Amino acid sequence: MSLRGRHNSTNMLVETASFLVVRLGVSYVALPADGVRGVLTQTEAGSEPAVTAAGTVYQPVDLAQRLSVAANLSGLEMRIVLYSTGHSHGAICVEQVVGLADVERKDCLPLPPQFQRDERNWFGGMMLYQDQLVLILNPLWVLGELADVVPVSVGQTEQMVAVTSAEIGGSC
Amino acid sequence: MLRAARGQQHAQATKRSWNVVVFSVGGMKLAARTEDVGGVSPWTESIPVPSRTPFVHAMLKRDNHVMPVYDLAARLSRTLQGDPLLCLVARHLDGPMAICIDADVPSLETVDATAIRPNGRGDIETLGSVTIGENDVAIVALQRLGRSRQDAVRS
Repeated sequence: MSLRGRHNSTNMLVETASFLVVRLGVSYVALPADGVRGVLTQTEAGSEPAVTAAGTVYQPVDLAQRLSVAANLSGLEMRIVLYSTGHSHGAICVEQVVGLADVERKDCLPLPPQFQRDERNWFGGMMLYQDQLVLILNPLWVLGELADVVPVSVGQTEQMVAVTSAEIGGSC
Repeated sequence: MLRAARGQQHAQATKRSWNVVVFSVGGMKLAARTEDVGGVSPWTESIPVPSRTPFVHAMLKRDNHVMPVYDLAARLSRTLQGDPLLCLVARHLDGPMAICIDADVPSLETVDATAIRPNGRGDIETLGSVTIGENDVAIVALQRLGRSRQDAVRS
């Protein structure tokens, strides 16, 4: 048995998911890293609301407004995250890019069932990163592929998040 | 046989009385069955969570565990009193849930089950109410808090 073979078998035991952790006001949220196509400063993104990169048009997404979070989007650390699910493409304005996190799937936790309304569409789960509680965003909702108005049950949301994860290459 | 009879007597005695934790929220005395309370500890700063669920807009982190926070004071339109505030952990059917309560240290009381009256108040899930001291105290159904359902006292 080669060393390489041993290494691979070890990797298979620990499944991880990668996230881009960003901050909006006091909220830390994470996007599955597979969908991240770029991170730009305001200067790099230009003055137009939509951002065009590599022939793809990324429509502006006001995530802070959609989450009803107060965020300072005029600071020096503000970034625009270019994100794609494959079907939709968005330019997401965030207050700060905190970092990339590789998280073992067992450390991705479901949103507690006491959260019963639209937020079950917004978040696929949560995790701890650098001692912070980070909410894992559902990219389909972020990019407007899911309507907010349809209340969903806990079970439905879990199914939906599983589909989402598969579509974007896997998350928690 | 004797042993079984003693067991029955004990069960009947248990049914006849309830052990409750009496606490206060914004000066309002409330009670909860002791088995519905996971503990009381100093309140620590909660983490806001974007949410549209009424009164569930934050989480509390304890070591590597997080639990949702139920804003009972807001539901009762009360302002919490005292410093430092306390955290009561409710054994909710959906999992542990933190509730911020007044700084007054909760007390344990034993109440006669026959003294528990159906509670007509519609602002909170209760198991009934009981007179403790001179106060009419609602027994909050912590297990069902937030489920918008009133529970009648079962005989």
